[in-house]
Amino acid sequence: MMLRRRFFLVGIGIFLVLATGQRADEFKFPLKSNSVRFAAIGDMGTGDKPEYETSQQMNAQRKNFPFDFVLALGDNLYGGHSSSDFEKKFARPYKPLLDAGVKFYAALGNHDDASERFYKPFNMNGANYYSFKKGNVHFFALDSNYMDPKQLDWLQKQLEGAGSNEWKICFFHHPLYSSARKHGPATDLRLLLEPIFVKYGVNVVFAGHEHVYERILPQKGIYYFTEGSSGQLRAGGLDRSNITANGFDSDRAFMLVEVADEQMYFETVSRTGKVVDSGVIQRQQAATAAKP
Amino acid sequence: MKKRLRNPIHIRTAALIAIAVFGTAPIYATAGQGSQVPNPQTQNQPAQNPPPDLKSPGFQEFSDRVQKYVQLHKSVEATVPRLKTTNEPELIVAHQKILARKIKAARLHAKRGAIFTPAAREAFLKAISSEFQGPQAPHAKATIKQGAPLKKVHLHVNEIYPESIPYTSVPPTMLQNLPKLPEEVAYRVVSSDLVLLDVKANLVVDYLPGVIPVEATNGQ
Repeated sequence: MMLRRRFFLVGIGIFLVLATGQRADEFKFPLKSNSVRFAAIGDMGTGDKPEYETSQQMNAQRKNFPFDFVLALGDNLYGGHSSSDFEKKFARPYKPLLDAGVKFYAALGNHDDASERFYKPFNMNGANYYSFKKGNVHFFALDSNYMDPKQLDWLQKQLEGAGSNEWKICFFHHPLYSSARKHGPATDLRLLLEPIFVKYGVNVVFAGHEHVYERILPQKGIYYFTEGSSGQLRAGGLDRSNITANGFDSDRAFMLVEVADEQMYFETVSRTGKVVDSGVIQRQQAATAAKP
Repeated sequence: MKKRLRNPIHIRTAALIAIAVFGTAPIYATAGQGSQVPNPQTQNQPAQNPPPDLKSPGFQEFSDRVQKYVQLHKSVEATVPRLKTTNEPELIVAHQKILARKIKAARLHAKRGAIFTPAAREAFLKAISSEFQGPQAPHAKATIKQGAPLKKVHLHVNEIYPESIPYTSVPPTMLQNLPKLPEEVAYRVVSSDLVLLDVKANLVVDYLPGVIPVEATNGQ
């Protein structure tokens, strides 16, 4: 019954979005003064040319879409973790954004060393998992490498404490839903996280790990994005399935997102600046009220 | 009206009408469609296996040994300048190296089995076997395959975990059934071994060889 209500609300949201007559070729960010604007990247920390080219494209896009911060979805640094690795794989490619005051909020991937949480530009404040607020959006960065009972308890308490009128966005490395060929979905993780997400009304989830871009059809009323191709790429790695809403696996990409009141506008942009996906999401209500 | 719209058939009909009307709009979608993965409705049912007894003598002995190790870790850490968040990665790297060097020196004669004692091994084997034979087994195996190192990694107690080897996600459902650990240490799965890792010093504290079913780590 609760699930049915959630589907209903998602359906209504989609209907409203469609009813506006807005189309992808007409897509425009509203750029509202009080909106929350950010980018999302994943699996970027290679230090190779494509990472640099993708970050340059992010910087170029920022002229028209001035985002304030970036969600880093894990595998922020591949291979070694010496100071030169931090420099080559993060500080240098994203220097123009960092110099412009853009903040990065990182989640840990399976290639990351836990010591990255002490690296100030990642804004993890020494924690493997953490939350922060921007406007009417509450973000929850999780460590999907190690989802122990302590982290699950923390997440539930954080979600309980979040406002019922806020967007709740979780981001972490391993996708709960995926049609990519290499790894597929983290179903064990899903067993534990999805009931919590549904119960406390998480709206959107971002993940990486698979080196492709994929937007998943809403699952139990929740929108899932995988963006794991901001440095790495597995060309042709997406095996579109009946849960795939859209995808892109022929070049690197990143996401641009604007949350304006009850709508979330998103655009996925390739390394060359081509828009490969876009859309608008209406904020769903929680299936059950976590708080009265 | 309200009652009518709550009916899922009507909702689907409304959605189909919307798609028909705005059919060319690339903006999507329909909610709660089927999935290529096992039915989430059944996935979310709790595991049917009885949870392992976390108060068993084997687990108790393990937890006592872990506490002793953490005491040692803390006493060593107290002699090292506290690591704060920093813009200088060399400070992070240096802190980890100094901490590792000092702990290694303090445990110079540490051997495998000092923490995963024979009794602890039995308890872990039972818990892991239950995980990999229970209804959640396919999910647990998939989790390990997702991040498993491709090759056999030869670990050594009291040595640095190789930094170029990616971490393997420990199946979250398995973590629910193993003794909880203090924040200084964590479980890792490497090849078919269960490793106790000092996450601050990146040191292998101890490991249990060959306890993860081989088929779970052969995937990729």
